Amino acid sequence: MTERPSIGASHSTSGIRLSERTWGYLLASPAFLLVGLVAVAPIAAALWLSLHRRLPVFGVEEFVGLWNYVQLWSDDRFWAACRTTLYFTALSVAAELLLGFGLALLLDGLTSGTGGSPRWAQGMIVVPWAIPTVVSAQIWAWLFQPDFGLLNYLLHQVRLITRPIDWLANPDWAIHAAIVMDVWKTAPFAALLLLAGLKTVPRDLYAAARVDGAGAWQQFRHITLPLLMPVVVIVLIFRTMDAVRVFDAVYVLTGGGPGNSTETLSIYAYKTLFQTLQFGYGSTLATAMFLIVAALSSLYLLLLRRHLQETT
Amino acid sequence: MMIARAVVTFCAALALGCAPAGDRPHDPNIVLVFKHGKLSGDGAILSNILREFERRHPGIVVREELLPSSSDRQHQYYAMNLDGGQAPFDLLGVDTIWVQEFAKAGWIASLEKVLPPAEREQFFPGPIKAATFKGQLYAVPWYIDAGVLYYRRDLLDRHGVAPPKTWPDLVHAAQRILDAERDPRLAGFVWQGKQYEGLVCFALEVLHSNGSDLWGGDRARAEAGLRFLRETVAGHRITPVSVGMADEESTRQIFGSGRALFMRNWPYAWSLFQREGSLVRGKVGIAPLPSFPGYPSAPVLGGWMLAVPRASAHQQEVGELIRFLTSPDAQRLVALGLGYNPTRRDLYADESLVGARPLLKDLYPIFLEARPRPVTPYYLLLSQALQPEVSAVVVGRKTPREALDAVRRQLTRIVGSSDLPVAVEGL
Repeated sequence: MTERPSIGASHSTSGIRLSERTWGYLLASPAFLLVGLVAVAPIAAALWLSLHRRLPVFGVEEFVGLWNYVQLWSDDRFWAACRTTLYFTALSVAAELLLGFGLALLLDGLTSGTGGSPRWAQGMIVVPWAIPTVVSAQIWAWLFQPDFGLLNYLLHQVRLITRPIDWLANPDWAIHAAIVMDVWKTAPFAALLLLAGLKTVPRDLYAAARVDGAGAWQQFRHITLPLLMPVVVIVLIFRTMDAVRVFDAVYVLTGGGPGNSTETLSIYAYKTLFQTLQFGYGSTLATAMFLIVAALSSLYLLLLRRHLQETT
Repeated sequence: MMIARAVVTFCAALALGCAPAGDRPHDPNIVLVFKHGKLSGDGAILSNILREFERRHPGIVVREELLPSSSDRQHQYYAMNLDGGQAPFDLLGVDTIWVQEFAKAGWIASLEKVLPPAEREQFFPGPIKAATFKGQLYAVPWYIDAGVLYYRRDLLDRHGVAPPKTWPDLVHAAQRILDAERDPRLAGFVWQGKQYEGLVCFALEVLHSNGSDLWGGDRARAEAGLRFLRETVAGHRITPVSVGMADEESTRQIFGSGRALFMRNWPYAWSLFQREGSLVRGKVGIAPLPSFPGYPSAPVLGGWMLAVPRASAHQQEVGELIRFLTSPDAQRLVALGLGYNPTRRDLYADESLVGARPLLKDLYPIFLEARPRPVTPYYLLLSQALQPEVSAVVVGRKTPREALDAVRRQLTRIVGSSDLPVAVEGL
């Protein structure tokens, strides 16, 4: 460490000379401690628990090493839940991003066109996001009702369907019903983040592009999209993490059925941990989920870093 | 230092109030915390019963603390708190299917002395069996439920059909009436087919009424029972596909809007059908669930019981409270005011009660036959393994054989193969 005047040294009254780096760590230590207590410690506890076979009802508590992970590897229900979760995540996040982008552009166009900001439009758009998930899932359960649900009625009115669709009772439809609900609920969140990103794009870039004869698509492709990339990645990270952990929306809508066709990792972990009280194996499932989320987030961050390196 | 200690002592005394010491039977400071799921209807009826208990037992205060009515959430709450060894409550309402688990875990106390064997005769046998773990009683039945068959009396009468005694009879009756009525919005038979506990109840009712069960019994008859579930939808076409997502409430709404001939449900729906403005008012009949020829009807037992955490410091007082809550007088009040069915058999001959709720006469033989779901501490594990598999059969994803094989594989993994005979004891 090179010797240089440090804040710590100049403020030191006890005569102990602390380097700037040490002072930094010292000042940040409460934050580290907090994160350690609320995030790292529980994760470590879950990891530790996942190395045990723990069934409190049967008085079983034994260290089994990686036995639970071996079980996990051969657990069909786990792999089915993985597939369901990733399918749900891929489709819902993609749809949310596209729809959110469309909404953001629309709102941005509205505001820049009139000069004033139509707060009512922004306010209206976040309503689905603001409704508690359990409530909106119950509402959607009614909308999806095959005989007197609104959705089938509307589809029938516009002659898209001739027979009612069994949205939730059909194992092929049910997961898509859950995706529709999730997109409805969280596209506004994506839209708000993207709208904030759009506001930071300097307007004179567009003016300059127009002078150079760029059309609307070219402006979007070469100005809006590249400048918005960091925001897009943030939206992707947020939404992917949420979608991989999806629980209440699907649980209220289908309970994981029919025939486990909508059982996500969270639902499987919940049933294992809290309904059948298999604390060891349930923690193994939770750990697996944690690893999946961590892997996906790292992948996004890697992509973002590469993108930033390319553009600078 | 002395002064500081005196101040602390003084403050502590203030905080405790003027607590007299002593081991008198009714210490004036005894507060019994009663945790239970919210009952439907007027909460004042139960509160009044508790106030009456307090009046008769000076020095005891009962504090009701309500949990959400979702039984999953209640189970979760109890498990978390009881596993800690220091439950913040003295009395809890338990689902019939939890008693074995809680007793096995050592979370709840034996109630052998609260309800001596001679007195148990006065209760229905099903709940007593469900509450008995290794020969000892661990919960006292509070109110009782069982699966029943609802039918549209008016439509059956119009077509000269008697309430079916067997499942094939029900299929024929439904097909005959549906053919004659030619109403595309009328369904034949609705039941709870969603992937949840309710589906396990109905599946067990069908399997038990075929002389088999889901684990140790006759494998061929178990498969035949599961196949019947699927065939109501796919072969006989008396059940709408949407039953694969139906729970108690959604089937009640279909039947209650006059759009089903038969329904499997719990007795609670009856009084809702008889309400002012109900579309099926006066048109509904109730009967024991059908069975396969040669086997008796096999309604599944439901209902709630009262249990005491082992950690409660007031075992004797809370025992008295249980006796009071399950006394004929208290059960009569709850039955009249809230519609929950008594667990004491002699109340079904009580004129003041049966006069007001004639349905109890029909329910009596059904409750007498009500069969507990597998009485084992493994029940919740078993049910969780069964739910997706039975659901997959209902929606046509798996054959009954594949489903039963998958259940066996899962249970083997959960309990470990060497424990299996113990796990399935009594299934």
